[in-house]
Amino acid sequence: MIRFFNSQTLILIGCSLFVLYLAGIPLVMLLYGSVRSAPIGEPGAAYTAQNYVKAYFDRDFYLLFWNSLKFAFGSTVVSFVIGTYLAWISERTNTPFKKVFVIMALIPFIIPGILSTIAWILLLSPKIGLINLAIKGILGLESAPFNIYTMGGMVWAEAIHLYPLVFLLMSAAFRNMDTSLEEASLSAGSSTFETFRRITLPLMRPAMFSALLIMFVRGMEAFEVPALVGVPARISVFTTKIFLAIHQFPSDFGLAGAYAVTLLVISTVGVLVYQKVTRREEKYATVTGKGYRPRVIDLGPWKYVTCASAFAIFFLAVVLPVFILLWSSFIPYYGVPSWELVGKLTLANYKYIMSYPLALTAFKNSFYLSVGSATLVMLLTSVIAWITVKSKLPGRIFLDNMAFIPIAMPGIVLGVSLIWVYLTLPIPIYGTIWVLLLAYITKFMPYGIRAASASMIQINKELEEASLASGGTWFQTFKKVILPLLMPGFVAGWIYISIISLRELSTSILLYSYDSTVLSIMAFDLWEGGQYTYVTALGVLMVLLLVAMAYVARQLGAKIGIAE
Amino acid sequence: MAEKNFMVKIESLEKYFGEDVERVHVLKGVSLEIPEGSLYTFLGPSGCGKTTTLRCVAGLERPEGGRISIDGKAVFASGERVYVPTNKRPIGMVFQSYAIWPHMTVFENVAYPLTIQRRPKSEIRRKVEDVLKIVGLHGLEDRPAPKLSGGQQQRVAFARALVNEPKVMLLDEPLSNLDAKLRVQMRFEIKALQRRVNITTIFVTHDQSEALAISDQIAVMHAGRLIEVGTPHQLYSRPKRKFTATFLGLTNLIEGKVLDLGADSRPGKIETAKGVLSFIPAAGLAKGQPAVLSIRPEHIQVHKQQPQGLENVVEGTIKEAIFMGDAYHCQIAVGDLLLAVHTHPFLSMNPGEKVYLHLDPQSCNGLPAEDVEGMDESMLGV
Repeated sequence: MIRFFNSQTLILIGCSLFVLYLAGIPLVMLLYGSVRSAPIGEPGAAYTAQNYVKAYFDRDFYLLFWNSLKFAFGSTVVSFVIGTYLAWISERTNTPFKKVFVIMALIPFIIPGILSTIAWILLLSPKIGLINLAIKGILGLESAPFNIYTMGGMVWAEAIHLYPLVFLLMSAAFRNMDTSLEEASLSAGSSTFETFRRITLPLMRPAMFSALLIMFVRGMEAFEVPALVGVPARISVFTTKIFLAIHQFPSDFGLAGAYAVTLLVISTVGVLVYQKVTRREEKYATVTGKGYRPRVIDLGPWKYVTCASAFAIFFLAVVLPVFILLWSSFIPYYGVPSWELVGKLTLANYKYIMSYPLALTAFKNSFYLSVGSATLVMLLTSVIAWITVKSKLPGRIFLDNMAFIPIAMPGIVLGVSLIWVYLTLPIPIYGTIWVLLLAYITKFMPYGIRAASASMIQINKELEEASLASGGTWFQTFKKVILPLLMPGFVAGWIYISIISLRELSTSILLYSYDSTVLSIMAFDLWEGGQYTYVTALGVLMVLLLVAMAYVARQLGAKIGIAE
Repeated sequence: MAEKNFMVKIESLEKYFGEDVERVHVLKGVSLEIPEGSLYTFLGPSGCGKTTTLRCVAGLERPEGGRISIDGKAVFASGERVYVPTNKRPIGMVFQSYAIWPHMTVFENVAYPLTIQRRPKSEIRRKVEDVLKIVGLHGLEDRPAPKLSGGQQQRVAFARALVNEPKVMLLDEPLSNLDAKLRVQMRFEIKALQRRVNITTIFVTHDQSEALAISDQIAVMHAGRLIEVGTPHQLYSRPKRKFTATFLGLTNLIEGKVLDLGADSRPGKIETAKGVLSFIPAAGLAKGQPAVLSIRPEHIQVHKQQPQGLENVVEGTIKEAIFMGDAYHCQIAVGDLLLAVHTHPFLSMNPGEKVYLHLDPQSCNGLPAEDVEGMDESMLGV
């Protein structure tokens, strides 16, 4: 009675194979490429351990390893402290204006990494840095007090970029904690501090540990800060080393592959430990997601201190970078703020960007890639989430794990892998926008899965069964019932993916060609060319585009799906 | 039996849940036949397999073995590898949660089974209006589903299940999410509705009073097996199984051994610790075998003086008497046995008082002592 190849089976099999292709092939090709002496097709290509030998016996390898660790650890610790502190203030204390904090803490989220890196260079460069010049002027110092071109500077720039994620993770953890557990401790006679030490801290430990791990992995795969700050400062990490191995002439794909595999192993270990921790976290039923009313701690007069400190952090992390970007985008030539320059404010930079030969191409490409990858990822992961959450199909756990693999793949590693894939496979898309699209879909699939699964779990099974019992086919049910009900998660995932696609740099930089230039690449090139005022104008336009897209997506989502 | 038309036929249904070590046998050869146009109830405690059986009829679960046919056509047959998917079965279903789609209006919800078949707009409008009239929701077409009360949501669910004129309507505990008062009111409405549209209906519930109130026939289930089928009246007053007697309403059980099975008009005799008592034997009892005598609290008559010329009288002491308004609920000790007895509220019942209990032989059901798993043919049907 069942036709084997009905639409349901075809869609399910098709999506599963696509995931396998996206996530599995690059991994295989990366490993393969790292043991080849030259790309396939070139004469004399053979199996070799030469790449690894060259990588590991390089004098600088251990310095490289040490730098990567220092950078990742440093930015993890700093971002964790800032993010957790702000999350604690806004969730668990009576600090005034805490509602504002939530918005302020999330603003850096929408600023592309390359822009925030540029902003920090403009603030902390020893020669032109605004903060340095201001402090020098006020205190009458001879030399600049800060230097972005150091390990400390890199850590700071990265940490400011990463802390919003810590804020989100830790806010959720604080919010979901059953505070009656603390109240039980207080009523058993222990002090607030004792309760914090013996109850709150142990309960929060899994959430804290998983946040730390995510930040560490992010730090290992970070590209923008190491490329813009680290390279001129001659501080190499894995990502920049891989980038340079490919960007030198002639490119050494094998060596890049060997470094990429090493980096992949490190980040995979991080992700595996993270999954283990979060799985154990789920077992402890302290975080149930039920609407507890968090017990707010009365800080007394200290609340003004926490409030002031929060605003100080926001001044540093949000106001100053945004100001310097805007300022720089409106002045005719780069200079620190002065009355003289205020009189010369101009839109010339924006006009220049608009008339820049590649700008239109880059805007178009970025827009198409962002909308295309966000839409395709969410459609694909909605089907995958249905398979893994709702169906009882064999192999669904494997599929879930497969779709999650790219989360452990740093962008630059994915770039190297895809170079190998499309230099090897007879699919003629190398150097086109399509290879970027596939790269983005692969890279952002795990985020899509997470958003879609979380929403899918909340859809009562009977809503779907009611459609089947009404005579609906699987396809009709998916289109008319599941997708609309999934809309809140779909839109949230869509917005997030379109944002991160639009600012993607580390994968694109290895895969783009002249015709497939995207905005972040254009910004990178402008920066390399020293055109600070133009690059910031481009950055402001990018952010405006992002805000507009998020707004439109939210409006559309509310129309199609149920109102949130 | 032959002249009767069966709309749904279920034959030796087998179903397992889980895999490997955690594999659970949830349906152990369930067979039953549901007459056309009847309101048929699956009744049993949670985990007995009633909902699973219903979901197998709907095609939402795929059994491991057996056969299900609707209106003479097999929708599942393990031997012939037949499995009709849910959306191709002639059914309408009302879910426990109602499963009203929150992103649609009342009209869109009810029209769904017709819209997906791409029926003409005018036909859809007419049919939806008709069915909304039947369930009493006329005029609420454009209301968004989340703005409905629990009772209204349930009516929408009924309308949606009915709109495509299914051959069988499946109701999965549709009343369990309503508050107590509405629940009782909806019993009457469902019964009236079913009579009006005359669609064969399967109703799943764990609430015995609901089952008694609503059903034409009840199938009592327990631990994956069918225990007994009968009309509410039969099952309540002449249960054939100990499980039925205890699950439906309150009853007193007295253990004993069958001395005599009696004959057509003559009650049988059973030897118990309280003496030899007369009773009506259920099928399957044999002379000399252990049995239980079941008598309902309202069928025990209390006498303050020893009555003359009556069979089945035992002597007891009132332990506790609770005034319930329409009755006294008493616990009366007969030796080491505590009997539940309901008496008329005008009769004063004082703890410690000595009374005589008349167990009317016509109300004493002799049942097999052990509820052996499975059941034999004699207990099936009417």
